[in-house]
Amino acid sequence: MRQLIPLTWRAVTLLGVFFVVLLLLVLTLGFTGFSDRILSAVVGEQMRAERTTLAETIRDPAELEQALAARKGELEEFYGLHTPWYYRLPGTVFRVLRLDLGEARSLRSTDGSSRIIDIVMERLPNTMILMTTSLVIVAVLGLGLGLFVATRPGTWMDRSISAFAAITYAIPTWWIGILLILVLSVNWRLLPSGGMYSTPPPADPWPRFLDMAQHAILPVLSMVLVSVGPYIYAVRTITLNIAQEDFVAMARAKGLPERRVRNVHILRVAAPPIVTGLIFGLAGSLSGSILIETVFHWQGMGRLYYDALAGTPDENVIVALTFMFTLIYVGIRLLLEVLYFFLDPRVSYAD
Amino acid sequence: MRVSQVWQALRSSPIGVLGLLLLMIQVLVSLYVVVTFPEEFGVRFWSNPVYWVDNPKAAPPEWAPRLRGRSSVEHWSATLTEPTAREERGRTILTNYPIPYALKTPGVPSFLSLTVSNVQFAEKAPLLGLTLIRPDETRISLLRHAIKAPREDETGPFTRHAAEPLRFQINAEASVITFIQEFLTEEHDLQLDEAQIKSQVLEILFGTPGTTGEFEPLLGEYEFLFQTASRTPEDSVGAVQIVVGGDSYGSLGTDSIGRDLAQGLLFGLPVALLIGIVVSLTSTLLGTALGITSGYLGGAVDTAIQRMSDIVANIPVLPLLIFLLFIIGPNLTVIMVILVAFSWPGLAIQVRSMVLHMRSSQLIEAIQGLGSSRVRVMWRHILPQIMPYFLAQIIFSAPAAILAEAGLSFLGLGDPSIPTWGQILEAGFRTGGVYVGYWWWIIPPGLLIVMVALTFMLISLAIEPVVNPRLQSSPRR
Repeated sequence: MRQLIPLTWRAVTLLGVFFVVLLLLVLTLGFTGFSDRILSAVVGEQMRAERTTLAETIRDPAELEQALAARKGELEEFYGLHTPWYYRLPGTVFRVLRLDLGEARSLRSTDGSSRIIDIVMERLPNTMILMTTSLVIVAVLGLGLGLFVATRPGTWMDRSISAFAAITYAIPTWWIGILLILVLSVNWRLLPSGGMYSTPPPADPWPRFLDMAQHAILPVLSMVLVSVGPYIYAVRTITLNIAQEDFVAMARAKGLPERRVRNVHILRVAAPPIVTGLIFGLAGSLSGSILIETVFHWQGMGRLYYDALAGTPDENVIVALTFMFTLIYVGIRLLLEVLYFFLDPRVSYAD
Repeated sequence: MRVSQVWQALRSSPIGVLGLLLLMIQVLVSLYVVVTFPEEFGVRFWSNPVYWVDNPKAAPPEWAPRLRGRSSVEHWSATLTEPTAREERGRTILTNYPIPYALKTPGVPSFLSLTVSNVQFAEKAPLLGLTLIRPDETRISLLRHAIKAPREDETGPFTRHAAEPLRFQINAEASVITFIQEFLTEEHDLQLDEAQIKSQVLEILFGTPGTTGEFEPLLGEYEFLFQTASRTPEDSVGAVQIVVGGDSYGSLGTDSIGRDLAQGLLFGLPVALLIGIVVSLTSTLLGTALGITSGYLGGAVDTAIQRMSDIVANIPVLPLLIFLLFIIGPNLTVIMVILVAFSWPGLAIQVRSMVLHMRSSQLIEAIQGLGSSRVRVMWRHILPQIMPYFLAQIIFSAPAAILAEAGLSFLGLGDPSIPTWGQILEAGFRTGGVYVGYWWWIIPPGLLIVMVALTFMLISLAIEPVVNPRLQSSPRR
């Protein structure tokens, strides 16, 4: 059970990440006066509605003003505007922790709900489709090609993969996406330039899935193109380093077949850092998906960010999304760490 | 290992030399931009649509039509400040400002505009008129305009359009259609209705009716005759400018509001270098300082710093960057500060383990035994050994900062007072330039981002074998 201690540390760290982000959100909202501004706007909007209803029942202007002022006081107390932000925001934090994320101003889910949690839950699977597909492709290609080149260091193929990795590291994912649109969908009209389905979307499940798959080709391609190079390079370097260790030379000296040396002696040692690299790649892939979804109008959480930022920005949605992104990221990371731990109990997190 | 070894490795490797060469060129161009570009270029010029009003909109580069074997109409503009002739006709004085123009290649201009500034008169407001004299000696009246008469409480002499010049987009003026109708009936005996003329004003002005009913370009020497009709000889016009919009523009084309992309892209270079170098230098300094402190002091400080770096290193950066910039406001300094705040942990962890390794070395132990202070040991003995790593890290982390700023700009969170490549791309994407194939608006800014990021990559690849740090990747995009 001693081995569980490092795992616990990882969990504590990730929990720490979560609370630091939460704290940062709250402090930023409070110190900049942003929280007050949002709530005042909400109160102001409700007051305008109340004025029209109250004006129908109360005729005397002085009495109306009095009634409105009283109502405004009630509303301000209800939203906690009468106290400074540091008294009010802890309550907000607990509400957010219960996933009560508030209402969006103009964004809606397909069934018309304005509750942010509904909108996010509707978009989340779309983001997951994009992220997992590209992550799986990157992992498969990275492992396959990385191990392949590692057996042929210094060949033209090895060198061109290193060059490819260096160049793609310098290319913004979203720009590749735009280029692909420009060339493949505007110029050659091969693939749709954006969205998730054709209009109108096919009704039957199978054609509908194929339609979505067709729309997913370009976004997935751009994410894979940019992140596969560095990953192949990493797999290659890790494997090469291990292949030079003494115990590998020993295995070869014993006369073991090359196949067995590679699969048992090298890969078993190389596996942990390779998988760790992939787990850490998740962060990049999450950020990449925000920008890629924006480029391809993919109705995921990233595109939601863009929609909330464009035009009149929707503060509630932006705060909620930042929170949800962190929550999901920390959640997936934790899940992977635990899985990783149980799949390979020899894994040590020590330096 | 010494800093000089790093320099040696850089000079002896071809990719290192290439990287250095590229960096030198970029620095020189940046210096040129910093010296020659006007102050507050972003606010006063780039983000000011009035400044670009006389440029063709969304025009490809001049060399682009030639590439496809097509001829293009060059963008042309001329300004006249002094009249050439004056004649008196009864009580009015006619003043002539003839501006010659040659249409050399078959094609249609994209627009035609007249700008008049600083009109001065003593008593009665002058009348302005513009006539096009064509190569075949035919004349088309283009515009007649009366300058606003004095109000009752005003006293002369009067000045009009001094601060805000009077601009006419001739091809979009309603009156030009009537003039064209008259012209076509008289010269060609052609009756076209308003809609037909409206859709081909410029084709008619710079062409003749062909056999198929379409208008064919009429090449040759044109003249724009601008005239004023005034009462007193002292009445004057400050400047008359005619612009014939080309169907291509400059070396890199224009965007949808006519901004010269070459200027914006040039301006983006020093900004990108500044972001890359300032962010990587500051975050490397911070990371190294924290790493040394953590490794050398140990104890509670070490634990605190290490836990902090663990947490910050695992934060999903982009969502938080978006949030903070949205709340605090898009400002380049804020962007850079936030980028620094999130990019130090990798280095802090790495430097700490290096320091731990060195601290236990016999040399350091001996020095400490001789009574050197902690600060002196850190400064004189540990820091110099870390220096090469430090330099490598600055170069290695610069692309990440440049790419991060570009990504934020692309989401619309760029500093509006300072144009960057990311912002140019954002504009091209948001206004739909991608979907109509404005490649000159999309490809160059991206290529430039890649070029600058790659320059730093090349240099760090060249010094990597020497430094061989387990360079951990800093947060990307």
